[in-house]
Amino acid sequence: MKKPIVLIVLLFIIGTALYAYKMYNKPHTDVLNTVAAETVSASAIFAAFDNEEAAAMIKYTDKVIAVEGLLLSKDLSNELEPQIVLEGNGNDGFIRCGFKPVMLSKVSALKDSTIINIKGMCVGLNGSEELDLLADKDVVLSNCTLID
Amino acid sequence: MKKTTILTFAILGLMLGAFKNHSGGIYKTNTGNINFFSHTSIEDITADNHKVKTAFDATSGKIQFSALIKDFEFPKALMQEHFNENYMESTTFPKSTFSGTIENMAAVKTTVDGIYTSKVSGKLTIKDVTKDVATIGTFTVKSGVVNTKATFTINPEDYNIKIPKTVSGKISREIKITVDADYRHAH
Repeated sequence: MKKPIVLIVLLFIIGTALYAYKMYNKPHTDVLNTVAAETVSASAIFAAFDNEEAAAMIKYTDKVIAVEGLLLSKDLSNELEPQIVLEGNGNDGFIRCGFKPVMLSKVSALKDSTIINIKGMCVGLNGSEELDLLADKDVVLSNCTLID
Repeated sequence: MKKTTILTFAILGLMLGAFKNHSGGIYKTNTGNINFFSHTSIEDITADNHKVKTAFDATSGKIQFSALIKDFEFPKALMQEHFNENYMESTTFPKSTFSGTIENMAAVKTTVDGIYTSKVSGKLTIKDVTKDVATIGTFTVKSGVVNTKATFTINPEDYNIKIPKTVSGKISREIKITVDADYRHAH
């Protein structure tokens, strides 16, 4: 009678430990193989954050978002994360997309002033009107991949 | 007449020389690095952000940073989730900012290659809590790029970051923040 109870308790402990181990080591979101939760234009996502940041944070962040926009420039100044800048509002608003270093050659090959499609994890709106040197704003996406 | 002409040219020359050596203007980057590191006997925790927006005014010494909290990447996804959801509440408080001064800006010659140091002090805001912080910044000028490095420590409890008792031993009360940014002349 005692043996089955001990066995159940043991199985429960082993199961819990395995689940905890799996959770502890769960991988980051695989952007490449994740279907985008939203597909938006660069100007639309910038406007959403610029008009109502709190609502846009809830709608877009922590999700894989696909964005189409005009490539303004490539910013390869940080080898730890090659980046590109898409036009956001044509003035002082941009979409900044960060890539893993393995994407450097593909990012380098992009042509400025062309329309490109990317997807990445949306992490928010950087820049602040309260900081006069940083008043320009970027909607930021991380772990981006290029969509053909 | 000759004397006046010579004097005029001399003044013009001095003015041009002054402009040439003037190291003013705004230096900026959107690709600055911030790392934070927590060490305890149980666990080390580290995370990096490579898209920090920062700029300084080489005339006044004003320096500013803005970093998105959700852009800190941890080696483990679960740690990143806990950091954002449980401790930083990063959907509600999406960024951390610093606004301060390079106190000895005159000693940092942004147009002359070399290594300079200056105290940097100002106000750090995390989770809408603002505290004074100060550290020594090292400014390395090379070929027009001004690399800035600085480290300082913060206590998470000072910024309303509540650490549950169950994980209290895993998170240091002295989080080391390391800043490393390559600034370029913006205008």
